Amino acid sequence: MIGATATSAIAAAGVPVTPTVAQVTPIEASLLVFVVLTALATALARDVLAAVIVFGAYSLGMAALYVFYRAPDVALTEAAISAGVTTVLLLLTLAKTTRIEHEAAFESVNYPAAAAAGLLFVGLALTTADIPAVGSPDAPVWSNPDVTQWYLSETYAVTGVENTVMAVLAAFRGFDTFGEAVVVFAAGIAALIVLRQEVFT
Amino acid sequence: MSDASEPDGRRETIDSEGRVDGTSPTSPTSRSDRLGTTPQQGTPYTESQVIMSTVKFVSPFALTYGLFVTFHGGGSPGGGFQGGAIAAAVVFMIAFAFGIDATRRWLANAVVVGLAVGGALVFAAIGLVPVALGGAFLQYDLLPVPLLDPVKYGMEAVEILGIATIVSGVLTGLFFVLASGFNRDGLDESVVSRQVNGDTDADRGAHERGES
Repeated sequence: MIGATATSAIAAAGVPVTPTVAQVTPIEASLLVFVVLTALATALARDVLAAVIVFGAYSLGMAALYVFYRAPDVALTEAAISAGVTTVLLLLTLAKTTRIEHEAAFESVNYPAAAAAGLLFVGLALTTADIPAVGSPDAPVWSNPDVTQWYLSETYAVTGVENTVMAVLAAFRGFDTFGEAVVVFAAGIAALIVLRQEVFT
Repeated sequence: MSDASEPDGRRETIDSEGRVDGTSPTSPTSRSDRLGTTPQQGTPYTESQVIMSTVKFVSPFALTYGLFVTFHGGGSPGGGFQGGAIAAAVVFMIAFAFGIDATRRWLANAVVVGLAVGGALVFAAIGLVPVALGGAFLQYDLLPVPLLDPVKYGMEAVEILGIATIVSGVLTGLFFVLASGFNRDGLDESVVSRQVNGDTDADRGAHERGES
């Protein structure tokens, strides 16, 4: 992804009206490295408690990355749900079960599994060349003004709210959101049934 | 409920866990010891003046931020889902600082259930009222709201009274129901004893066949 961003930046340099094609800033690069390292540590940590904590750090790194990619709504969700709530729920579950003490900090690498994951990684990495760079004028988001631009320019006139993301969620795609809300509600009921409890508190 | 379900099953697991930790050759004050076993709670709890003071100070601001994210979702990043999660996280913080069972006693079950069910009902009602008036699901401009813009305030109502309440209620409920764990009351006794002894159905079947 870093490479694709850099090459597209060079390609876009000749275009007279160049929107901000994002260069990979040092902060962004270190965030990417942090996310990859914490993801690896989550997979390899021998202790479940350590894995849960490092996974929380991974989610926080992803939330910071989303802010860099100008998706603050997604970043808020990632920080609140993944880094916060999920970590707490996993820790609670760990506390209710037994945890085995380990001498070694990391699991020894399972080579067949690593090879399978590596193949998947290579396959996915090959597709990144076709993904438009962040902020690229050729990205479908910009090169398809009839759709994207309509939402950006007409949302306030049609719905009366400034936040296009919320307008899409609550109005344009409101029926999907109703389904999501019902899924969350059903998750609460499912937890009660699975744990054979009759009340929450 | 918490008092009623607490007795036998739960105390048993604590004792067995405690023995496991106690016989482990590593330090008895290791982190797993603190996290796994606290006799009086049955859930992880370490009373800390630092944590309690910090949570006392931070939680009003965190709750305010959650409400801001919810109520200001139309004009800034955020909305009901994120704000509801932050509001639920405030309850997590309070439980983390003051103990889960103390927080459980403070927070009535009717509040949690009311938030979740009420949110689902409000969302469904806002969606179905336009249908009853001959429009489409969630067709906000048909909402019979006097004086206010029905589209804008219909969306705000869905975000604030629908999504935020469902998310905060369900997340809080998940937290407490996970903390109280699996309820063995009412289970078949033979099933319970088999689970405790670690026998599987296959073992038991083989055993019975050997006897007969």
